[in-house]
Amino acid sequence: MSYTKPDRRALLAGTAALTLSSLVAPTIAAAQEDANLRLFWWGSTPRAERTYAVADQYMAENPNVTIEGETVGWADYWTRLATQVAGRNAPDVIQMDYRYIFEYARRGALADLSEYRNDALPLEGFEEASLQGGMVDDGLYGVSLGANSSATMIDADAFEAAGLEVPTGAMTYDAMADAVMQVVEATDYEYGMHDASGHEPQLENWLRQRGTPLYTDDGELGFTVEDATEWFEMWADLRERGVTVPPDQQALYQRSIETSAVTLGQAPVSFAHSNQLTGYRELNDSTITMIPLPLIEEGATGGHYRKPSQLFSVSSSAENPEAAAAFIDYFVTNPEAVEVLEVERGVPESTVAREELAPKLNEADQAQLEYIENLGDLAGPLPPPPPAGAGEVEALLIRVSEQVAFGQQTPAEGAEQLVSEAQSILSR
Amino acid sequence: MPQTSDVMSGLGPVPNVRPTLRQRLVRGIGPAGAAYVFLFPWLAGFLVLTLGPALYSLYLSFTDYDLIGAPRWTGLDNYTRIATNDPKFAASVRVTLTFVLLSVPLKLAFALGIAVMLNRGLKGLTLYRAIFYLPSLLGTSVAIAILWRQLFSGDGLVNGILGQFGIDGPSWISTPDTALYTLVILAIWQFGSPMIIFLAGLRQIPGDIYEAAEMDGASKVRQFWRITLPLLTPVIFFNAVVQTIEAFKAFTPAFIISGGTGGPIDATLFYTLYLYQEAFGYFRMGYASALAWILLVIIAFFTAFSFLTARYWVHYDD
Repeated sequence: MSYTKPDRRALLAGTAALTLSSLVAPTIAAAQEDANLRLFWWGSTPRAERTYAVADQYMAENPNVTIEGETVGWADYWTRLATQVAGRNAPDVIQMDYRYIFEYARRGALADLSEYRNDALPLEGFEEASLQGGMVDDGLYGVSLGANSSATMIDADAFEAAGLEVPTGAMTYDAMADAVMQVVEATDYEYGMHDASGHEPQLENWLRQRGTPLYTDDGELGFTVEDATEWFEMWADLRERGVTVPPDQQALYQRSIETSAVTLGQAPVSFAHSNQLTGYRELNDSTITMIPLPLIEEGATGGHYRKPSQLFSVSSSAENPEAAAAFIDYFVTNPEAVEVLEVERGVPESTVAREELAPKLNEADQAQLEYIENLGDLAGPLPPPPPAGAGEVEALLIRVSEQVAFGQQTPAEGAEQLVSEAQSILSR
Repeated sequence: MPQTSDVMSGLGPVPNVRPTLRQRLVRGIGPAGAAYVFLFPWLAGFLVLTLGPALYSLYLSFTDYDLIGAPRWTGLDNYTRIATNDPKFAASVRVTLTFVLLSVPLKLAFALGIAVMLNRGLKGLTLYRAIFYLPSLLGTSVAIAILWRQLFSGDGLVNGILGQFGIDGPSWISTPDTALYTLVILAIWQFGSPMIIFLAGLRQIPGDIYEAAEMDGASKVRQFWRITLPLLTPVIFFNAVVQTIEAFKAFTPAFIISGGTGGPIDATLFYTLYLYQEAFGYFRMGYASALAWILLVIIAFFTAFSFLTARYWVHYDD
């Protein structure tokens, strides 16, 4: 390689120029520098409308920034994102899920946002606990866009028609089963509730009430064959009594509001996430109310947790990470932005934003906000992020739960298979 | 075609007529060179879009690659795991073979039956042909897969009809014992393209052979078995090979109907669906590439087998 040694004078002049420019640069950068941000998220049409509206507002206030939005459904999202990251063409601002943030951050695909906390990303009104979901190895790799938690969706009209009081707080699994069977007797509903034996969030909630995590801090499987056997036995019993939707109909459920037992008119009770209350109300004619997931026994605690329903992360290859951080800050704390977004992505984390928003919400959104704020003892600490392979274990749980439900395996055999295959997936 | 170039080189320069591009090329770089120039648009696409990625996927099949990081060479690990420690591979091969072995013969039989019916000089043949071909145009689409889901679900049309006869059917698409068969029926329903080819084949059979058979007192059924079928074997062979390859590659219906899971209990876990899950569900591109190459070998094996047995049952009499 040919390389001419610079002479002293040139070196000095260069250093001076650099020093000068570094003094002037920040002020210019903040005010003038043109930034082009690509924003990528998953979700439904209402979410897209709200997100584009906030991006437009931001561009109007910051004429030097242009934002291009892209959106697809959840199922296609991760394929697209992985392909774009692999093609060195990652979007600047990436909607992230708690399940994937560790994988992406540890593989170097995301930028550490801690360094912007003092200027571009003050995150007014965020408590330490709200930041926790975006922390990976002491760095901030994602900002929560809202909190949600698991929830029980109830067709309140059916409960009233059966002459029952509409439940307003958590009930035990037994009490819930008795109540829905009374509803079944009194109404057109054929079955009482979802068969949730294959729902990972529900299993996790049930385990946590027993003091057992789904995954340990080291990313190992947290539960044993005995735990899983009891879980499958509980559902087998409910199935035999005709409380749950039968397996061939349960197998049609695709983890969406549209295919849930309540929306399809199969049963008056479904299990879902709290931010889906809005969607449940839109898709159902009857009044839908929301209570926490059932309890293992009266007074059980700690099953729930406030989960960041989604996060915004910045790509490590972003040309202007500071501008991306500034936009994220606007998105989660600016009153005008929050007023447009409401609680569609979950309850805002910023206390300032929440106070601003609360009086303006409609009844369903208000209910969602109160649900999250009033979980109390029912909620415990945020569990460690799921290890790589957790998605595959979730698919495994669905398959094994179906084998048990269709009678191909006993609960004990299913539990054995679940634990051994899950361990083999996690050790891969 | 060698004659063409001979003729052209024999022509020599013609005064007052500008030589065509082809003539100038042939003169400049010879006929083979000219051929490559004209092939270039296709060849470039083939090299860049097909051969290149295919070879890259062969390389990836020996690596651990998650799309985000760089591929890491792992030698034969992927293949060893597939061969020795992958129950889902075995399950998906079983599902796919069942699907191929059921759907291909039934579809061909159905297509041939309809083609023979249509070949009787019906009025409005073109209309019927178009109507029967329609499902093939729609068949692999998402909309039809969703329609199928509706037809065969618990309160779908099929159970509505069965209900008339007092039969209380399950949700066919989500019961492990029946789910795969709803997909076989969907495949058979798309009999249009082999039917069109059969129809063309039937038209090629000279009418005087049938007349002669008629004179000798052969029944219609006998004519079908002794004349139609043997003379149609080249077409049957072609259809069988093409449809087998298609069936191995089937993806969309299973993907839509099972919601991408291959469920219930892996009953509709087609090989391609498993491959897709590994690649885009769990980001194991290296492993998925190995699965893809094994699929290529399986398809190549079945095709080679068809060609080897062809000489015993396919009659080319011209």
